[in-house]
Amino acid sequence: MIDVFLKPSRRQWMMGAAALLTVSIAAPAAQAQTRAETLRYVTGATVNTLDPTMPGSTREAFAVSLSTYDRLVSFGRKQLNGKWVFDLDTVRGELAESFDVSPDGLKITFHLRKDAKFQDGTPVTAEDVKWSLDRAVTANSLAKAQLLTGSLTSTDQFKVIDPYTVEVTLPKPDKLALPNLATVYPVIFNSKVAKAHATAEDPWAQTWLKDNTAGSGAFLIETYKPGEQVILKRNDAWTRSASNGQAAFKRLIVQTVPEAATRANLVERGDADIVIDLQPTDAAALEQKGKLKVISTPQYNAINFISFNNKIPPFDNPNVRKAIAYALPYEDMFKAALFGRGYPLYGATWADGKAPSGGFPIPQPVNTDLAKAKEYLKAAGMPDGFSTTFSFNVGQANVVEPMAALLKESLAKVGIKVDIQKLPDAQMSTLINEKKVPFFTEGIVAWLPSMDYFYRNFYIGNIRWNYSSLDNPQITEIAQAARFEQDKAKYEAMGRELNTLHFEIMPQIPVWQASQDAVMAPSIEGYTYQFHRQVDYRDLSRK
Amino acid sequence: MSQFASTARRAGRRFVSSLPALLGVLVFTFLLMRVLPGDPAVFFASGPTAGKEEIETIRKQMGLDKPMPEQLARYMLDVAQGNLGNSLTTGQPVSKDLRERLPASLELTFAALLIALLSAVPLGIAAALKPNSLVDHGVRLLCALGVCVPTFVSGLLLIYVFYYLLGYAPDPTGRIDIFTSQPPRMTGFLLIDFLLAGDLSGWWAAASQLVLPAFTMALFVVAPLARITRAAMLSSLGSDFVRTARSIGLPRWRIVVVYALRNAILPVLTITGIVFSTMLGANVLVEKVFSWPGVASYALDALLASDYAPVQGFVLLMAFIFVIVNLVIDVLYGIADPRISIE
Repeated sequence: MIDVFLKPSRRQWMMGAAALLTVSIAAPAAQAQTRAETLRYVTGATVNTLDPTMPGSTREAFAVSLSTYDRLVSFGRKQLNGKWVFDLDTVRGELAESFDVSPDGLKITFHLRKDAKFQDGTPVTAEDVKWSLDRAVTANSLAKAQLLTGSLTSTDQFKVIDPYTVEVTLPKPDKLALPNLATVYPVIFNSKVAKAHATAEDPWAQTWLKDNTAGSGAFLIETYKPGEQVILKRNDAWTRSASNGQAAFKRLIVQTVPEAATRANLVERGDADIVIDLQPTDAAALEQKGKLKVISTPQYNAINFISFNNKIPPFDNPNVRKAIAYALPYEDMFKAALFGRGYPLYGATWADGKAPSGGFPIPQPVNTDLAKAKEYLKAAGMPDGFSTTFSFNVGQANVVEPMAALLKESLAKVGIKVDIQKLPDAQMSTLINEKKVPFFTEGIVAWLPSMDYFYRNFYIGNIRWNYSSLDNPQITEIAQAARFEQDKAKYEAMGRELNTLHFEIMPQIPVWQASQDAVMAPSIEGYTYQFHRQVDYRDLSRK
Repeated sequence: MSQFASTARRAGRRFVSSLPALLGVLVFTFLLMRVLPGDPAVFFASGPTAGKEEIETIRKQMGLDKPMPEQLARYMLDVAQGNLGNSLTTGQPVSKDLRERLPASLELTFAALLIALLSAVPLGIAAALKPNSLVDHGVRLLCALGVCVPTFVSGLLLIYVFYYLLGYAPDPTGRIDIFTSQPPRMTGFLLIDFLLAGDLSGWWAAASQLVLPAFTMALFVVAPLARITRAAMLSSLGSDFVRTARSIGLPRWRIVVVYALRNAILPVLTITGIVFSTMLGANVLVEKVFSWPGVASYALDALLASDYAPVQGFVLLMAFIFVIVNLVIDVLYGIADPRISIE
């Protein structure tokens, strides 16, 4: 009986021996040919659905969906400080060959490409477009709330004119209606296939589309393992790239690798082709080594805030908020948290306290000035400071932890005693949603980064994204009016007014826009920073 | 045969008596997850425009809009039918996720345990044969090192040396090289499936992926196994029957292996059982570092997102495995020491 232990069976020995020997195995070279035609993308996040509108879908899922589905239109690109980024102001046809906007701005007519086919070979028709847009505004999904921001709310607004023409009518000339159709949610489904899988309880085939695709996009799903990897192969019939061609890669691997250091190793050794979620330290080190291409783009549609709940004392007092704004060690935090990889939103000078531009966000005229901070504290009636907590979520710890420590140290100098509170992500979101966190750091992202969109979605109403719980009638009124303002000069003036107000009230402190560090093999070309903050795999090619 | 029958009877009794414990775990985890702060619906409604309505939709989808007792009753009914609910993190049924991932964790744990046992037992014996010698101190040092270096450090270190610097190991991303095709799924254990499919190069690929994580895990558990082997061997080597065996001139290997080791094996078995269960559930760091698609990292991701169903399913699975492992250890006791199965 002891033999079980001391004399391992033959196979056990073999396993043991193999275990010792196999350390000397390298990757097979035979697949070099297909390897060059394959794009391997590694990420710390996961793909959890093939239907981007599913509540809870991840950003990685969005990127996969935009490769398997087409939209009516998509964004063009522009250069911003020498980096390619998506351009909200140029919208080009994807499934639509062209589109016309009526002079009053109330009608958008889409002329579909006649050669566009779904992946099963059937043509893309106006019926499919109508079904997909109806689904977006009707089904219980993320799409509804998004399209609402572009005045798209009802199925009556989408009309089939002929098999290749669709007309969208708007109740008001909304600048964001067209850009909304270029976002992730209104992708075009093959309605015949989807309907075949719809049931009485599930009229929009949401259950089936979660694990299956019925699109016309550049790539087909080959294997889909939720939480692990997705492997896609090229749809050779697709010719809708920016240059009217096919996708450059024949195969696409989207793989989850949770450990950031491992992702850095993979891309450095050339086993992975591109990664966008490395730690700032690793990205900086790899850039310095110079072997890889590192494209670092400030996420110009995202902002990091040091935020207060303006309803919880003492942060209901603007002087307290300003005191903190002048007591933050901006420069040190920027270096410690991001290694300077981003676009700072502090340290500007505004003549006579008025905002110089109507964009959002713009650098604020704040800097570290402890004397000024003490003055504001005195004005608030708290010359000796107070005690509070500063919260952040665990998921951001590697960036925020050093920042929180510096903040604590600096605020202590003006008498504000800070307890740092690190919360699990779900708990943090719940507390923010319930408006129970007094002082914290969080970020926001806008897919459609226009000034009024920011103010309307992040400063109005009792919603989670209104971090500061601001309820200012003036801001609300101007922001709502700006939405439908067609005159560019007036719109700019409204933006300046809002920015000036924002600085006076100081509901929260914009600190910076962190960079997205896309680290890739030197042979990879075409990377563009996209609104969904993921890689659009169709942009990329190998030299 | 009668010994086998009594062992089986004993095992069966043990299993039935552990059912209430499983039920308790079920209810306890259910309540615990709901007591934890953090609302999964808010977490998952995280699109830039997700508002109250989206949160309500998810809440309804997860059944969280119902009163707690009703939720519990529904959950127990579902579990009785083998349905563990849906995971929002992966978008799949939990039972399917666990079925996919458990073999990955088991394969890794078995490999690590095998490596650990093959090195720890001989080390423990060697240390016990010459207590306080250089060998003994060497083993002690090795054990101390193994325990005090956290697995994610040793894991990253092994990756750095064998993958990054030397390039001997394949990239540490999961169970198999991404360019190798999977074998047809029979058992879910890649090493077995590849053998069944007769694909030796595939087997090789899977085995080479397994080496680094298995060694990392093994390093950590060598210490308890070696120490307990040493202690048990010391006491059994000092006992009367070993002295008798020596005095009648039996060969040395026979004394050590047959008489001393067999009597020392009981505590080692106990520890092995505990170590196995711990490794399976608690080695989430190894799974994370090596992107191993196992159950532990799955449960951790779900926990961070307050995704109830996967965490509950995972705890239930672990409790079940713990029961099974204890049973197996009990049976092995009986084999190692026949006196036990008599009672």
